[in-house]
Amino acid sequence: MASIEVSNLRKTFQTKRKAAGLGGSLRALVKPEYSSVEAVRELSFQMDTGELLGFIGPNGAGKSTTIKMLTGILHPSGGAAKVLGFVPWIERQKLAYHIGTVFGQRPQLWYHLPAMDTFILFGKIYELDDGETKKRIDFLSEAFEIQDLLDVPVRKLSLGQRMRCEVAASLLHRPKLLLLDEPSIGLDVVAKQHIRDAIKRMNQEEGVGVLLTSHDAGDLEALCKRVIIVNHGQIVYEDKVSNLKRRFLTTKLVQVRYAEEVAKDFSINGVETLKVGRYGVKLKFDTMQTPVDSVISHLSDVGDIMDITISDPPLEEVIAKIYQEAGTSTQVHR
Amino acid sequence: MKPFSKYWSIFQITLLNSLAYPGELVGRSLMIIPFMWIFYQLWKITFSAAGVEVMSGLTLSNTLWYLMLAETIELGRPPLARTMSENVKDGSIAYILNKPYDFLLYQFSATMGETIFRAMLNAVFGGLTVWWLVGAPQHPEGFLIAIPAILGAWILHFCINAMIGLSAFVVEDVSAFTWIYQKLAFIFGGMLIPLDFYPQWLQTLAKFLPFSSAIYGPARLFVTPSVELFVNVMSLQLAWILALTFVLVIVYRRGLTQLTVNGG
Repeated sequence: MASIEVSNLRKTFQTKRKAAGLGGSLRALVKPEYSSVEAVRELSFQMDTGELLGFIGPNGAGKSTTIKMLTGILHPSGGAAKVLGFVPWIERQKLAYHIGTVFGQRPQLWYHLPAMDTFILFGKIYELDDGETKKRIDFLSEAFEIQDLLDVPVRKLSLGQRMRCEVAASLLHRPKLLLLDEPSIGLDVVAKQHIRDAIKRMNQEEGVGVLLTSHDAGDLEALCKRVIIVNHGQIVYEDKVSNLKRRFLTTKLVQVRYAEEVAKDFSINGVETLKVGRYGVKLKFDTMQTPVDSVISHLSDVGDIMDITISDPPLEEVIAKIYQEAGTSTQVHR
Repeated sequence: MKPFSKYWSIFQITLLNSLAYPGELVGRSLMIIPFMWIFYQLWKITFSAAGVEVMSGLTLSNTLWYLMLAETIELGRPPLARTMSENVKDGSIAYILNKPYDFLLYQFSATMGETIFRAMLNAVFGGLTVWWLVGAPQHPEGFLIAIPAILGAWILHFCINAMIGLSAFVVEDVSAFTWIYQKLAFIFGGMLIPLDFYPQWLQTLAKFLPFSSAIYGPARLFVTPSVELFVNVMSLQLAWILALTFVLVIVYRRGLTQLTVNGG
């Protein structure tokens, strides 16, 4: 059964335009000019119950706007959507009992109070019995490893600690669906892993479906089975993550710093050299053609490695590649 | 009881939250002391220049106690419209709207939670200052009689400020509207000058506007309590509360379809 059904969803924002300077401000006062921004255009997709779906795209792609329409906060300009059988913007309050949301860039926990106070408040808001709330807090604090954090004012927590509490709070009322908008934004690698593990566990143990937006391809690889990539408010790609990985996430970027100077004519077979500095190199290679371990062993043969970073290409590059392929094969990957 | 216990909890958590920085809370409330001292100087000179003990039914002591309560009502209420506008601007409105409660009742419970300690501290500091300047109030029991009217005043303030706050759903910045509201409340609410001292036509006009029910009514009831005045103040207040709540609900429903959430 589908937990989210979206068809031809649209959202257009009217924004005021104003030329720079005092003259522009005065003109805008007398004769305001508006321009329409199409944040979401004709979006259609489905998400199954209990699915882990990645909804990714660069900044401004329309991810957050879509999530806000699916929670009923924003009214769409057109199209239809059903979330757990409810039309979100009409049955917002009824839907709210069954979904959990986390907007990574905004806190929902009361900032000056310990997280425990917000948990208890949420228990009341979602109409749980006190005993049930307590049991649930115990369970979640173990799953998210936040036992020691609950009595500390939220403002004193680190971002990673706070995000664990935020996601745990959104699960207090056993939602069937969790909408996570950039839950890993600004987190370090360890904190990201913590959050991902806990979300995965909740999905496996409680069957909660997760729609996750991110502009970090790492979140996607670690968590999601299926992915939808949006850009300029439209779906540009929809497929299994394993297929995406095989087709588009095949290149890696490597940056290495050596203890001694590097030869100017530095090169490794099958690896593209992007930059050679005095002490470091920047490389790009295709993991399908050149395995990671062979590149690493070549690199360590050259000299003593001081530091090494291996990263995925930025999402913008992946999208460009998808467009390129769609252009050449005139086939939309859906 | 469950549906109401959530609003009680919201009230409680905002009450707790308002105590997060007790120093700031107390410091802000101390502002009423210089205000009352300035009022005392101003009205002492006015009464002695006019050469009268009683003006339009109020003595100097009455006037000062009146102004103390008027200030307490005004300074005690939190800047709801500004907070709502901030919530729209920074996008945190998304979290407030996606919970299973009535948005307006949530805002009301939160506003009252924030009001209680602010108002209590203002009343204590303002009351002590006025007591020291002009002695005890003529009718101490007036305070108890005025309590329902004080609550009604905050409900009225809430309705008007929530309406201004909701306009942020469309215009985002509401500071111009709050400025206008504050000035209207100052003049037509009788914040600086009790309405009784106005010319008759202005008094009549002011007494039928909602601002007088939100400030003048309860303050006047406190200094000259009577059954007749109580019925007058409360019935006018109730009429305004009903009318403004009705408008507020309509504005809210329309506002929802217009909302633009910033960021992310």
